[in-house]
Amino acid sequence: MSAENFTSRSLSRRQLLKSAAAISAAAMAAQALAACAPAAPAGGGAATPAAAGASPLQGTVGDEMKGKTIELSFATIGGWPPSQAPMAMFPKFAEYAMEKYGYTVTARETQAPFASLFQKVAPTLASKSQEYNLIVSDSQWLGALSEPGWIVKADDVYALNPELDIKPYSSLVRNTYQIYPDGSDTRWGFPQMPDTQGLFMRLDMLEDPANQTAWKEQYGTDLPTTYDGFADWTIQDYEKLFEFFTRPDEGLYGTAAQYSKDYDFFSCAYHPYVYATGGDIWDAATGDVVGVLNTDANAEQLAYFVSLMKYMPPGAPSFGIAEMIDLFTQGKVFSAFNWNAVGLAMTPTVEGATVLVLHHPKFIFPDGSKDVIGAMGGQPWVINSFNDDDHMRAVIDFLKWWYTDEAQADFINNNGGLPWSEAGVNAEGFEDLKAYTRAFKYMLGEGKSRDFWHLPEYAELLAIQQEAYSAYASGQVTDPKRVLDYIAAKQQQILFDKGRTTTAVPAELADITLQ
Amino acid sequence: MRSSRVAVESSVGAPQGKTNPWRRFEESQGFMYLLLAPILVFFILLNVIPTMWMIGLSFYEYSLMSAAPPEFIGIENFVRIYNDADLWSAFGRTFLFVVLAVSIETVLGLALGFLFWGSGDMPGRRVALTLLFVPMVMTPVASGLFWRLILEPTFGVVNYFVTRFGGANIDFLTNVNWAFPAVLFVDIWMWTPFMILMTLAALGSVPKAELEAAEVDRLSWWKRLWYVIIPHGKFILMLGILLRTIDAYKTTDLPFLMTNGGPGNITELIGLKLYRYAFASLNIGFSSALAVLLLLIAIAFTSIYLYVLNLRSKREA
Repeated sequence: MSAENFTSRSLSRRQLLKSAAAISAAAMAAQALAACAPAAPAGGGAATPAAAGASPLQGTVGDEMKGKTIELSFATIGGWPPSQAPMAMFPKFAEYAMEKYGYTVTARETQAPFASLFQKVAPTLASKSQEYNLIVSDSQWLGALSEPGWIVKADDVYALNPELDIKPYSSLVRNTYQIYPDGSDTRWGFPQMPDTQGLFMRLDMLEDPANQTAWKEQYGTDLPTTYDGFADWTIQDYEKLFEFFTRPDEGLYGTAAQYSKDYDFFSCAYHPYVYATGGDIWDAATGDVVGVLNTDANAEQLAYFVSLMKYMPPGAPSFGIAEMIDLFTQGKVFSAFNWNAVGLAMTPTVEGATVLVLHHPKFIFPDGSKDVIGAMGGQPWVINSFNDDDHMRAVIDFLKWWYTDEAQADFINNNGGLPWSEAGVNAEGFEDLKAYTRAFKYMLGEGKSRDFWHLPEYAELLAIQQEAYSAYASGQVTDPKRVLDYIAAKQQQILFDKGRTTTAVPAELADITLQ
Repeated sequence: MRSSRVAVESSVGAPQGKTNPWRRFEESQGFMYLLLAPILVFFILLNVIPTMWMIGLSFYEYSLMSAAPPEFIGIENFVRIYNDADLWSAFGRTFLFVVLAVSIETVLGLALGFLFWGSGDMPGRRVALTLLFVPMVMTPVASGLFWRLILEPTFGVVNYFVTRFGGANIDFLTNVNWAFPAVLFVDIWMWTPFMILMTLAALGSVPKAELEAAEVDRLSWWKRLWYVIIPHGKFILMLGILLRTIDAYKTTDLPFLMTNGGPGNITELIGLKLYRYAFASLNIGFSSALAVLLLLIAIAFTSIYLYVLNLRSKREA
């Protein structure tokens, strides 16, 4: 029957249009009703016969997902390559899901910078939405995400999927990306990308005969050109090197480090100096900050850390991760302190430039030993508790795929990723895989790095210290002890108000202001 | 068509309340409320209810970071604000920012507005005006970001010229002496066009006949300004100043994008503080209390302006 016959015999043009409109309206109403209907909670939905009794936290175990089409929604850190690598690799997971489980899966990604991703994600979780099924979290957020019950307990997933419970390279992985509360055995996060601090240097400048000669004349020693040659250097040794390469007339400076007020940039760069005193920024056992952070030794280290700005280009108080990359790749600095996770991007565009990456400089500890405790970077995955059954299964399937040897190899070899498992980090040839992999491995070693609070109050605690550190870095406040006293008092008050410490702020610090 | 016109005419001519219920309804209060209903619904849904909700929340301890339900704590959030020296310091900076930004923008806006008003025959006037208004219509995100890049000490174009002419690099955004003026400058750059626009609108409201009469009477420029232009234009100008004051008082985006409130807390204006409490710490109760306080201050600003305007108009009357 032709269209003409159909319209002329059975239906008038008006009737046809009316019918089409009615069908469309009905379809839209049905969709709206479906959208309003409460999502089946994970683990509680009606399973197909093949999956009867199987928890969605087990992933797909039968044909319950066969023929379905799923869109997985990811929240990732914008401008952070390791966080976006899973998106680049997602088509491979889509093939895997179709081949292994018979369903079609697509990905939707929402990005936000470090400082604002939490703000984007938290309100959706607070409203019990599954807007983001799988989230690349920062390690500091674990408490904030787990205490209100917004994320799935990783232990529950591991119990059903023992193959996911992979042995980590060191306890740093577990303590940084998985555990909350600190010191407990409860795991919430799944390691996505571990990260440690490195010092990126221009190897071609070190090898330059003119520099070699000048250094020898000035210091009477040979200028090292290898990892082993620098391996035991302390920050004071490096200071000479930074001074040596600080040549403002040539537009070159010795180094660059992160002093920015943004997010945790200053804090992560400064914390290794705190740990070098044998100290810490708070006492995780008692919840106290006063008396732990605001010591004379830490104040001295703060002054020292900020004094290194004299070897840096103008504008150091605003330097963050992006500035490290820009300055180093454009040949404005001889060296830069940065995260190994962005090692691929730390490739100078200057002709003939080569790179040597060391672990964070060592310090002379109070007991006289030379050692380093850096700050931990990196991010875990966390799973939205409010995912419906199908999305939960797809998320678990995704993680099962993500942790396969093939996917991890692709992540590390082709997408700038770094391993965290014992097998991955100890894999043959890993240390020589990239310029920064040896330094990364060293800093991921037992006791070589340390993460800081994972408390729900992290945002308030962080904002206080970032503002105060920035005030000192810019010269707004000139007394480093006052800066630490201010931070300690403010943070102690927050922790006291939340019941995380029983010690009130001492009277002499109660009214302290930044200026 | 003809018959309907006749019908309308006849209905207009018909005795009131006798045969035309529509006309009666039109003149009743019900019709007035019917016309107002859509905007009232929007106003209640989008303004009244959220404001009441916010006022209610300001009496609660409520954080999205906690699984705990909101807890009524009376005026404790307000007491905390009262005792927080950092917040008052942010209020002080904001006040300074508002006074400087609005006064400079007003003076520049007036000067440039008069210039354009008196240059009707100038070639390229329209293009110049369009270009002048560009900063105002740009999104603050774009303005903040590109000024951040322009003022950047190592790669920025301003420092390129500074060093080119023998000067030393200036840390516009991280130097304690430069950061506040830098943010202020960008705000002035963005919003002076608004004051130009208001000035042109004010000048446009002056009756031509009065201006011509002043010219015939050979009044000096100052007298024309004082006796003819200002009496007519002042309401629009005052409205412009009021709008800019309220807007400058809420400034958050520029310092957030350019300096993130730094260095230290030098550009940490009260709007940015509120943003941090509400969206970084997700401390809904406390941030609601702060927002209530800010709302009261904004209302006070508005009331003062309106009071001054009313006072003058009463005196003149």
